[in-house]
Amino acid sequence: MSSKVMNMVQSLNSTMDLRMSQDDSIILLGEDIGKDGGVFRVTDGLLDKYGEERVVDTPLVELGIVGMAIGMASSGLKPIAEIQFQDFIYTAMDQIINQMAKLRYRTAGLITAPLVLRTPYGGGIRGGLYHSQSGETYFAHTAGLVVMTPSNPYDAKGMLSSAIDSPDPVIFLEPKKLYRASKAEVPEEDYKIPVGKASLVHEGDDVTIITYGSMVPLVSRAVSNNSVSADVIDLRTLVPLDINAITESVRKTGRVVVVHEAPRTLGMGAEISALISERMIEYLYAPILRVTGPDTPFPYRLEEYYVPNEKRIMAAVQKVLEFR
Amino acid sequence: MVEELNEQAQREKYVRGFGAMVLSRTLDRKLITAQRQGRVGFYTPSTGQEATQVGASMALSKEDIIYEYYRDVALMIHRGVPIEVMLDQVFGNSSDLAKGRQMPSHFVARNYNFMSIQSPVATNLPLAVGAAYAIKYRKKGNIVFATFGEGSSSTPDFHAAMNMAAVFNLPIVFMCENNGWAISTPVEKQTKTEIWKKADAYGMRGVKVDGNDFIETYKVTAEAVEQARAGNGPTLIEAVSYRMGPHSTSDDTSKYRTDEVQEGSEKDPIEVAANTLKEMGFINDNVVSRIKEESVRIVEQKFDEREKIPAPDPETMFHDVLAELTWNLEEQMREIL
Ligand SMILES: Cc1ncc(C[n+]2csc(CCOP(=O)(O)OP(=O)(O)O)c2C)c(N)n1
Repeated sequence: MSSKVMNMVQSLNSTMDLRMSQDDSIILLGEDIGKDGGVFRVTDGLLDKYGEERVVDTPLVELGIVGMAIGMASSGLKPIAEIQFQDFIYTAMDQIINQMAKLRYRTAGLITAPLVLRTPYGGGIRGGLYHSQSGETYFAHTAGLVVMTPSNPYDAKGMLSSAIDSPDPVIFLEPKKLYRASKAEVPEEDYKIPVGKASLVHEGDDVTIITYGSMVPLVSRAVSNNSVSADVIDLRTLVPLDINAITESVRKTGRVVVVHEAPRTLGMGAEISALISERMIEYLYAPILRVTGPDTPFPYRLEEYYVPNEKRIMAAVQKVLEFR
Repeated sequence: MVEELNEQAQREKYVRGFGAMVLSRTLDRKLITAQRQGRVGFYTPSTGQEATQVGASMALSKEDIIYEYYRDVALMIHRGVPIEVMLDQVFGNSSDLAKGRQMPSHFVARNYNFMSIQSPVATNLPLAVGAAYAIKYRKKGNIVFATFGEGSSSTPDFHAAMNMAAVFNLPIVFMCENNGWAISTPVEKQTKTEIWKKADAYGMRGVKVDGNDFIETYKVTAEAVEQARAGNGPTLIEAVSYRMGPHSTSDDTSKYRTDEVQEGSEKDPIEVAANTLKEMGFINDNVVSRIKEESVRIVEQKFDEREKIPAPDPETMFHDVLAELTWNLEEQMREIL
């Protein structure tokens, strides 16, 4: 099997290319995804290959993009819709929460909306308030959605391919900071990373660090640089959560830090922390700490203070390790 | 254009349409009464809009896809949805196709291409556009028919759907059922223009029709359907009627309006239809009485029958959130049940 060295953008692009070449029910739609190839170039070149019927530049209306994708999916197509920045998804929240997420439930499975909604999220491009948000909690809080976020080029392909095959609507959050941050070997043929499967990206005994998306490389680096014996769990899928991966590791280490870029209050860290204390408090030696973005909007000039960094991560890890 | 029919076929088509209107009205009456008796939780009658809905339905084929709204009872009945399917939904019983998940009037009937009803108004319209895109892409030849009230024309979803349907030149017909009222808000407070005129701004054909006249509505819809089928793009039809009933069983119309139209008056679309068909020599008073009596008999019988069906199994509350039951739902099910 051959593979190529790619960044995440190339990996996502090649996944859509491969799947589109095999299945003409896959349609891409979004703003500026055709000629322009998307503002992050994730769909670059696909218009030339598949034509404007399958790579659809839409009018500038997020609720329309999502609504159309739902209707397409219910009619047997497999739409992959792009929202240019996650920050602009909010006008489509009604479509997402009240249509996309509820169609299967409200029709007892007679009508479904198996679509993929891709969108870049998080900081990393000095985008300020409106080009940097991490809104995963909004989606994770809504019954009826699968929420995924890859952290490297290899996972991006296997996860997007699984998302395309999912019978459920998938919110596919792409950490824009990682789009071109690193390269990896990506097999050319199709492969799947199953929905709901976390990965253990670093193994150790003393502490479990649970994270996802843009924070994964940062946490891995922090752990290596400081020779911490830690399990680092990359959740990959936020809904449904891989509770087994969490349980196994926490029972081993008894110490937990959750790291995410999104604001703290009611973030994924809150849910993970509650789940662990409900289910395995007897294994814990220390309180569960969260390293997150603060409960402020995402600032432009002070981005580096907002996003968790190695120092903050290590401070929390140290505190948890030393707790008696 | 409406299909060419010989007199016999035309008589059958029109009289069947009239029958659906009467059956729908009978069901409305029964469900409003039953709600007052505490036997039904809620209901939104289509009373006053039967001619609009039946006229439109007459122009559609079995393969056409309908993105309907909560008031389209006569439309569903005319398309052949069995009355028990609708009653099971209203009761939310274990025979309900959607397992009692939604409040009454939120029907689904996939076998008749009714794509299910949501509460947030007009949010069906962008979905309808997506379905029309799929039809065009697959060159299937059917069309999408999408309905909404005039109040719903103020929403962003209406705008988005109209704009996209025109930009992509899709096989879709939008029908605004202008019944004059959005709960207590009259159409004058909803918009400064006539609804059909908005089509122009989107670059599609707009047309207004007397929604109290089922034959006119049929003709206008047929034209729009033909245009869509031929690949000549969408149409916005404004069918003007009057919401003769309350907004829903929770509504008291005396708080906000005095222009009530009484059932049986010359503005009642069923009276209008009866008179037209009598003039055409298709029916007489005896036939009308027979159709009305038969409708009452059917509704009474089916109502009593479906009312007895028990509620869905509580476990079903946890099904169909995602395709598979996830671990957290399994746990919550064990905790609650
Ligand atoms: C987005 C949204 N806002 C408010 C409501 C509450 N509501 C239900 S029906 C309705 C009026 C709708 O009027 P119209 O579109 O004219 O349809 P009609 O009920 O008159 O047939 C309102 C305000 C709703 N269902 N959805």
